[in-house]
Order: sequence, then C-alpha cells, then structure tokens
Amino acid sequence: MGTMVTMSEHRGAGGQLEESPWDKARGAFVAWRAGDATAVDDLVSAMTPVLWHVVRAYGHDRESAEDVIQATWLGFVRLHQTIEDPQAVASWLITSARRGAAAHARTARRAAPVEDETLASVLPDEVSAETVAVLDDEASRLWGAVTTLDERCRKLLRVIAFMDRPDYHSLSQDLDMPVGSIGPTRARCLAKVRTALTTGGER
Amino acid sequence: MTTGDNRLLDDLRDMWRLVDPPPPGLTATMIATVAAADLDDEWELLVLVRDSADEPAAQVRGLGTARMLYFNAAEGWSLEAEIDGDQVRGQLLDLDDLSGVEVTLETAAGESWTTGLDEVGFFSIQAEATGSIRFTVRRGQAVASSRWVEI
Repeated sequence: MGTMVTMSEHRGAGGQLEESPWDKARGAFVAWRAGDATAVDDLVSAMTPVLWHVVRAYGHDRESAEDVIQATWLGFVRLHQTIEDPQAVASWLITSARRGAAAHARTARRAAPVEDETLASVLPDEVSAETVAVLDDEASRLWGAVTTLDERCRKLLRVIAFMDRPDYHSLSQDLDMPVGSIGPTRARCLAKVRTALTTGGER
Repeated sequence: MTTGDNRLLDDLRDMWRLVDPPPPGLTATMIATVAAADLDDEWELLVLVRDSADEPAAQVRGLGTARMLYFNAAEGWSLEAEIDGDQVRGQLLDLDDLSGVEVTLETAAGESWTTGLDEVGFFSIQAEATGSIRFTVRRGQAVASSRWVEI
C-alpha cells in the first residue's frame, strides 16, 4: 500500500507532473550555497529516492543499498565544494552513487568468492509478491517485461531512467561498455521491453 | 533518442518507483546523516556570542537605541555589528585575508543587502534591518551564516 502513496506523491493532485527531483535538487543546492542552511535537507529529500533506484539497479540488497547511499551523502558533505556548477549537483550525486554501488559490488564478490555465481545472477531481495500484486495493470505489464531482460539491460535502463541527463561517457566506464555502444544498447534494451510487452500480453 | 523511447523510459521509471520504493525511513536517515557529518566544518556557522539586548542598558556604553551583536566563527574570526535605525555598521576581526570578503545582511521577509569590507575590515550598510535578520560572510567558496536574530 505504501508504494501507491509514493506514486501519488510523485504526481500532483491534478495529475500533473510536479517539479522533477533533479530540478528540486538544483534549486535546493543553489539556495544552500547562497546561505540557506536548511536547504540541504530539501536536497537530501529530493535526491535520496533517486539514489535508491540508481544503487538498486546494481543488484544490491536493501541494507547494502542504504550503506552505499549513506556513503554517497558523506562524500557529498566532504566534497561539495568541488562541485563547480551547481546545476550539476544531481549528476554529481548520481555518478558518485554509481561508483559506490559498483565498488561495493566488487568488494562483496571478493569477500564471498564461493557465492560469486549466485551474487552475479540474482537480484537479491528484489520485489515481493505482495508488491507485484498491488501494481496497476500498466506497471505490472512493464515489470513483467523487465523481468525478461538480461541483467545488463535491466541495470542500464534503470540507471538511465533515473539519471538527470544521461552522461554516456561516465556510464561507459562504470558499466564497462564502449561509449558508442550505450545509445544502441539502450535502444536494443528498450526494443526488448516492447517485444516482451506485445508478446507477453497479460503478464 | 526517440520520443517513444523517452516515454517508455518515463513509464519504466514510474514502474520502478512503484515496484521497489525506498524504505520509508531512508530519507530521514540520510538527512540525519548529513546533519551529523558536521557540515559546520565547511559550512560554518556564525555563533551569536553577545547580544546587547541581553545586557543591562548601562553596559551598552551610551549607544542609546543601537543594538550590538557579536558573532564568532569556529575558525577563530568574528563579526561585530551595530544596528542603529537604518544604519548597520560592523567589522570583521581576526580574519587574515580581507580581500574579496562580502557581508550580506538578510531579513526573513526576503530583503538582502551585500557589501564588501574596507582595508581594515569595516563595513557599512544602509538597510531596514527589522524583524528577523541574519548575517552571511562569504570568502571565496567558504560561506558562514548566523542563525536568525530578532531585532
């Protein structure tokens, strides 16, 4: 049920889209730098849910995802003065979270070599049956389509969906793909979603 | 990138928000994390250490209606301000490099005045400083703000 509330907060009462989290983040960061000490809370509120999705795209369980997000914010506290363009604050945070998520995944694999295959192939703690049960038709069809994708496609689409302005150059480093192949890969992954939507039908 | 691709990505984003929302307490935890991480190291607070309004009138050395405020920054420098009608005068003390330093006076009503310092750290602002006010001192990237003070 809580999930439905999240959705209605995202859309305004009249069904219009509210200011995007990236725009909110920019406004809050600019206000904070201008001396409004409380604006940092607005920045954290706007961006924490976005960072959640970016980090979860890497397959981390909920606890690890929280750790990565916390490390991202601590890094922000330490380094925010190095963000030259305040407009880029959302991208800066997302990039930092992606790097943290990728590094955390490498460490986890090293720490548990026996479970290597399991870790690589399973999205732990993914989504409960109860959650899927309360999805509307559209969301559940999309979810069904996404589950047919390989891990790389799923990760790429989820990260890109929550990025402010997709930065293919840094994505290529983090996902270990050539820059030139991200656009086509993205298009291919989306095409797979469409195919799954038409062939999967009711699922 | 086609419009259709963008729309599908938007739909996927909405789907993920529904399917795998962040835990309810996550944002609050992160706000607390940032607050506890001692932002004051970089985001300095000007702490009000003396306020003439808290002192017996006799000690205000005949300044009459003027309000004197003394703020300390953790780095060791301080700001003194005297608010007398629409005149706000003050000085930054024990600050090594005064070049490029700006002092901003703000009211909670949304007005603000910014000025530089003279060579010995004095500033003067003509401002209707009423209601809640605060001072912000900018030195390059470093910014220090006071809390709101009732005038």
